[in-house]
Formats: sequence, structure tokens, C-alpha cells
Amino acid sequence: MKNNDIDIIADKQDQHDPELRALLKDYPMPKASAGYFDQALVRATHEGSRRQRNRWIMTGFGSAVAAGLVLWMVGGFLLTATPDLPVADPTIPGITMTLEEPRTINLVFASAEPLEFATLTVQLPDGIEIPGFPGQREVTWQTSLRAGKNLLPLKLIATSPLGGEVYATLRHDTRSRTFQLRVDVS
Amino acid sequence: MTASSKIAFEKLVRPHFDRLYSLAWRLAGQKAEAEDLFQELLVKSYGKLDDLVKIDEPESWLSRMMYNLFIDERRRFARRRMHTVEEGEMTGDGIAGLPGPDDPAWDHERLERMKRLDTALSKLSEEHRLIVLLHDTEGYKLAEIQELIGIPIGTVKSRLHRARSRLREILIEDGTFS
Repeated sequence: MKNNDIDIIADKQDQHDPELRALLKDYPMPKASAGYFDQALVRATHEGSRRQRNRWIMTGFGSAVAAGLVLWMVGGFLLTATPDLPVADPTIPGITMTLEEPRTINLVFASAEPLEFATLTVQLPDGIEIPGFPGQREVTWQTSLRAGKNLLPLKLIATSPLGGEVYATLRHDTRSRTFQLRVDVS
Repeated sequence: MTASSKIAFEKLVRPHFDRLYSLAWRLAGQKAEAEDLFQELLVKSYGKLDDLVKIDEPESWLSRMMYNLFIDERRRFARRRMHTVEEGEMTGDGIAGLPGPDDPAWDHERLERMKRLDTALSKLSEEHRLIVLLHDTEGYKLAEIQELIGIPIGTVKSRLHRARSRLREILIEDGTFS
């Protein structure tokens, strides 16, 4: 029996219900926003290459400062480097948070030149949230960087004891850099 | 990975983007999760480019990979619609694609109908909801669903039949159908 025949039989089983079929056929499908596919491709090839090389794009390191943690992106090559970066420090910086207690992470971006219309995307694991964005696993906003060091305070709160990894990706044009931070919850 | 790898990858996957994006929506249920799933598929499949170039039907292969990713990381891509149903808010997946009140194509009656369908679909089991959406909304053949989900075609047919029956019951209960 051909596949089409099978479908015809299945349809005949429900042929008394054209109303339902018509309703389902009309159920809309949101379209991808303009440029989404292009961006997804760029991210995939960057990220795919990164994973293949099994080394971190992140060239920073973490150090506890005051109430938060500073992740440094060092060097003037931010957002201008080719994929063949120096071998990165494989250590993933981490922090321990207390359940339901907000904590500020300071991200430090160093740029050789001013950058307009960069975007910062923060990806969160289940149970880690940005206050004001309950339940959102990914938050993106636009920002501009000046030449030199730029500090972005990022407040996080743990709503479950699961913990996980937070990714903060800065993008400008087709270039990007990703921070990774391990979050444990006590 | 070289520049030629990227070009080859794009050539293989781009023709299937619309359908894969739809599948991601139907699986994950909401934009952020769907795009996360779609993105992860591209990253993973780019890493398997050597395999991908040998595949006769990339779309089936990619769809299956996406489905497996979804199952493997169900918790990550879990639908978060139960609470919206409990709150009585309709923020469902399909209706997000409808024109808003400022749009010339705004159709209040259609929106209301779709909201009810959205609510009804949310009351189906995950497996029934997925099969009825793939077959009746997205136009997948039964054999395609069989291959995607990895269950016998008889089970696909019976699930589809039960899903439609249950859906009709719900739509009668809420007054959409008489």
C-alpha cells in the first residue's frame, strides 16, 4: 500500500468531520522574523566550529569582586578576531548562589573601538532567572560599547536548586563572543 | 571548518528552513523554545556535515534529529503553556501568527475561533497534539510522522483518530462546534 493510500484511508475515517479539518488547516504558523534564518546560520557555523575545536571562545576568567563576579573579556581583539584565536583557558568560571537571593554578575567587555548596536543575549538554565523576566530562558537587548572596558551588571536570581550554565553572547554584525558561567545553587 | 564547509552546509539546509522552523514550533510550542531548538539543530547538524552530505533526504534526517533533540532535552524545551491555560490567558503558539487589531487583515471572529482551538489543543496529550498538528495542520504524511516519531503506522493512525475525536469533543463542550 502506498503512503498516499494510507493517508486517504485515514482521512476517510474522519471524513464526517470536515469542519474540524478545516479549522485545523487554518491554525496559523508564525513566520520567522526577517533575518532570523541568516542569523541562525551564522551562529550555527560559529558555534559548530567552536564545539568542534573543543575550546572556548571565551578568553576571559572569573574573579570574585565585591558582591558579584566579574567576567573579563581581555584584549583588543574583541569582535574582530578570526576563528583562529589563541587557545583559550578551558576553565569555566563559576559562582554559587543562594536560592531566591538576587546576585549581581558584572560582565566586562573590552573593545578596541566604539561599537554601536551590539546585542547581548543571555541564555539561562531552568531555575535561574533575570528579575523582571520570569520564566524567560533567553533575554536579548541592544547595547552600545565604548572603546575600552565596558561593565554590564547582570542581576540573576535562582528560583530552583538545579543550577546550570549561563551563556552571555555579545554580537556585532556577524561576529560574536560568548561568556560561559557555571552557577551552582546552595 | 572552512568557508567552503559553511557554504556547503547552507546549501544543504536552507531549502528546508521553513518546514523545520514549523516543526520546531509544533514541538516546542513557543517562540523562544522553538528558536532555541531550531538553533541547536543547526549547530548539531553543522557538526555532522560529513554525514549530512551523504544523506539523500536531508529534510527527513534533519527533522528526525530535531525530534530527537527535543526528546533528549524535553525539560529544556518543555512547553510552558499549562500555567497560561490555568490563568485563562491564551498566549498559544498558533495564534501568535495571526494579525493584530492594527493590521488590515485583523479578523476578530477568526482570532476567537483560533483561541478556542488553541485551548482545545492544549488539553490534548502531547502525543495527540503533535500528531494532529503535524498531519492536519502541517500536512505531514502518516509515513513521515511514523519515520519522525519512530512508532508503527497503525499507532500513528489510531492516535490521529483519537486526537481528532477528543478535539471535537472539547470543541463541542466549549460551544465552537454544535
